[in-house]
Amino acid sequence: MATVVNIDLMGDLQKFGAADVNACFSCGNCTAICPLSDNDATFPRRVIRYAQVGLTDELLGSKELWTCYHCGLCSDSCPTQADPGEFMAAARRYAIASYEPTGLARVLYTKPVIGTVIAVLVAAFFATFMLTQADLGGIDAPELALFDFVPNDVVHWLGIVVMAAMFLAGAWGVVRMVRAIGKRDGVTLKDTVGSGAAWKRTLGAVWDSLGIESLGQKRFRDDCHDDQEVEPLWRRRWLVHALTIWGFLGLFGATLIDYGLELLGIKETGTPIPLWYPSRALGTVAGLSLMYGVTVFMIGRWKKWSTAQADSKGSDWLFLSLLWITGFTGFVIEVALYMSAPPAWGYWVFLVHVAVAMELMLMLPFTKFAHAMYRPVALFFYALARERSTAGA
Amino acid sequence: MSESSKRRIGVYICHCGGNISDYVDVEKVREAISADPDVVVGKTTLFACADGTQHEMIDDIQGEHLDGLVVASCSPKLHTTTFRGVSARADLNPYAYTQVNIREQDSWAHTDDHDGATQKAIALVQAGIAKTRLSLPLEPLRVETVPATMVVGGGITGLRTAIGLADIGVAVTIVEREAELGGWVGKLGPMFPRDKPGREQIAELLAQVAARPTITVLTNAELVGKAGSFGNYTAKVRLRTEQTEELRQYQVGTFVIATGADVYAPEAGELGYGIDGVVTIHEFGTLVDAAKGSGTLAWQGRKVRSVAYVYCVGNRQLGGNEYCSKFCCAATVHASIKVSDLDPSIRQFHLHRDVRAYGKYELMYTESRERGSVYMRYPDDAPPSIEQLPDKRLAVTVTDALTSPEPLTLPVDLVVLVTGMVPRDNDDLTTLLKLPTGDDGFYNEIHPKLRPVETVVDGVLIAGACQGPKPATEAISGGLAAVTQSAGILKKGFAELDPLVATVTESMCTGCGECLTTCPYDAITSYVCDEGEKATISAASCKGCGGCAPVCPEDAIDLLGYTHAQMMAAIDGLVVAPEKEPVA
Repeated sequence: MATVVNIDLMGDLQKFGAADVNACFSCGNCTAICPLSDNDATFPRRVIRYAQVGLTDELLGSKELWTCYHCGLCSDSCPTQADPGEFMAAARRYAIASYEPTGLARVLYTKPVIGTVIAVLVAAFFATFMLTQADLGGIDAPELALFDFVPNDVVHWLGIVVMAAMFLAGAWGVVRMVRAIGKRDGVTLKDTVGSGAAWKRTLGAVWDSLGIESLGQKRFRDDCHDDQEVEPLWRRRWLVHALTIWGFLGLFGATLIDYGLELLGIKETGTPIPLWYPSRALGTVAGLSLMYGVTVFMIGRWKKWSTAQADSKGSDWLFLSLLWITGFTGFVIEVALYMSAPPAWGYWVFLVHVAVAMELMLMLPFTKFAHAMYRPVALFFYALARERSTAGA
Repeated sequence: MSESSKRRIGVYICHCGGNISDYVDVEKVREAISADPDVVVGKTTLFACADGTQHEMIDDIQGEHLDGLVVASCSPKLHTTTFRGVSARADLNPYAYTQVNIREQDSWAHTDDHDGATQKAIALVQAGIAKTRLSLPLEPLRVETVPATMVVGGGITGLRTAIGLADIGVAVTIVEREAELGGWVGKLGPMFPRDKPGREQIAELLAQVAARPTITVLTNAELVGKAGSFGNYTAKVRLRTEQTEELRQYQVGTFVIATGADVYAPEAGELGYGIDGVVTIHEFGTLVDAAKGSGTLAWQGRKVRSVAYVYCVGNRQLGGNEYCSKFCCAATVHASIKVSDLDPSIRQFHLHRDVRAYGKYELMYTESRERGSVYMRYPDDAPPSIEQLPDKRLAVTVTDALTSPEPLTLPVDLVVLVTGMVPRDNDDLTTLLKLPTGDDGFYNEIHPKLRPVETVVDGVLIAGACQGPKPATEAISGGLAAVTQSAGILKKGFAELDPLVATVTESMCTGCGECLTTCPYDAITSYVCDEGEKATISAASCKGCGGCAPVCPEDAIDLLGYTHAQMMAAIDGLVVAPEKEPVA
């Protein structure tokens, strides 16, 4: 049965960027020069062709979208200035918008004004909601008792609800993506968990995807920059990216430790603790790391340091801004907590901090943040394909 | 052999750098023929055609007062004009030179028999000497020419040709079969590469034609008769109206045939032709042109959102029209840009076998792609199939070599069949002018590069799409080449023709009429004199084919340069046993 093409695909996709991709005449220079393209994941030429012809399922089932780190070599060497690197980025945005069920990601990506309004409204909603639960009487207390201001339970349960919503939308997207890639790559459930050998393969691929690539940034670090002019270390993309990931995960870890300590009855959340205290030390180092990464990324996008940073959509800024505000307000609260005369604005900064952090998590499946779910999935399938082809050979 | 004609003949035997001398003992040939008393100079040479050898020949001809020249080398097709030129430069009559072919007809054919090849070479050269011995000095025929040209066909090529001719002072008669001038182009909207509508281009040409009093336009007219000879023909034209029919005669020096081509009409069912929404590129062009007013491309009242073009329809088909029509890729690429001008969101799929938007048209192709047209190459043996969907849209199923081996189905509102050109049905004209046509049905020029608008019929030139499918730009180039070629014939006021023509010895002719029906060029006519009916041959019309000479029962017809006496002598020369002394 012949595949019916979607004649609207290219026009739709171009709402997410890739203004010049029609100039592509499929010469394949991009694929030849790409240090990451290989027989197990061939791109960008093939994926561009899917878009030109209108093969939506093939496009959304292309793990190749996510095996690209947008170094820009392909765009530099494109004879028709079709900017294949930017196409890959636009296709990822399109994929994020297509996998999630609500249409919110599409709005955030393609309608910057409405997107900004939504972002502000969501933060305002969280802030207002918490304010209605707040005890405004304690503002003049001699110490900043933040969790007397907004009760710990409110933050806790709101966080649970937000995480659950995020998880639902995220899982929906991941399932759609897994099915699409599985169909295109011919990977079945039996292939992955049907036997001992299959399990072994699968777990190996999970380790490759999460351990070596996501946490270790191996290909980003070793392969992607092969032919690039060497950037100064402080702004090398893989390093900045790694610092951001590790910073984020570190903060997440610190929060878990803090929560664990409370469960164990060792320390209540919100109790002032010295700087060397494990959860606080980790949080501070991770926060600095995250702030460094996000700030450099934002400057890079602002200054258009690389081809990858040359074209930013509203949703990209939204993600970075939410991260940055969360981190920055966190440090401001930190400072406020240890000032001798606790300032009353500390409470308001805290309110902003929590509201933005909630929004960041809630928006995960709908912003650029979604790559944190989808890229590991794609890298898993890539590792699987590589294992299968090595086994086949 | 005639001893009475004591001649002074020079014979040159060529080694051809080994091509001949590796198999033929050229020294032995020279020795054998040097015994002939009429051979004053007998030489072998490494390359007869070399510049130095040519100078040596001229010196010999002048120093030895030669009155005949024999060059034994390669085929006369290669160097007849070379050595006629050598003769002329040495003040020797060019028709006193004979070319003997001892390469293609001897050394190359008998590489296994060196002795036999040498014997054959001697015989061939002897025959050449014998023919030369009886040669008569001939002068080119000079015919007066009429400074007028008849242009057959009033399309874009014919009109531009007529204007060009009028501007260099040649009177023109345009003969157009239809009621209106302008042909196909006159019906077209914007054309590549400059967007100017065909209608406007024709209107401009018509204004220019009208401004030139030396151009006569005949519409509803057909060329039905051609008599006379090169440079001075009598053309008969039949003018027809609904009630009347009139024959007129015009004296013209040359004809330019610019009858154009037809568009290929797909058969019912061919690639879905006949289904609502499947149109040819010509119909589509009209549709796009008409949509400019409303700004919306629509079909049957429904807005068109996607189009599929299927290329090479009726062209490049094994067993069918195998040629490429040259204009259609560029025309379609151009049409897609026009569609994009109307509405850039219309999706356009070009299903091609390779896009031949050559030369500067490549830029249009690039523009079309950059505006979002998708080009898909389908395999030669798997053309797209077209079906109508229940919602009246069309489903085009095709395999795109670039994307995947699986077929794809394109849901589109319109399918455009990119149809090429086919030769016009012009049998009467073809027969009348004896124009040669190729297997494809288009008229053939003598040589596609070197003599691109001349035909084997003297004074009849061809231009435009009648000689092969092409874009209007190239058709007009051909027309202007025909202008130059006509000028070359007509502007001197006379033309020189090869004198190798047939003549009738009046006293021997019995007026039997055998020859009259033999001549393929209608050069022989009969007349009545005191002695009764006699045949005569128009030197200007005769092509020297020799067809009439053997049919004459009285041997009254001789072909100059190849007279009976010369041919008999040459045969005698061939059969003389080389070992023996020449028969005295």
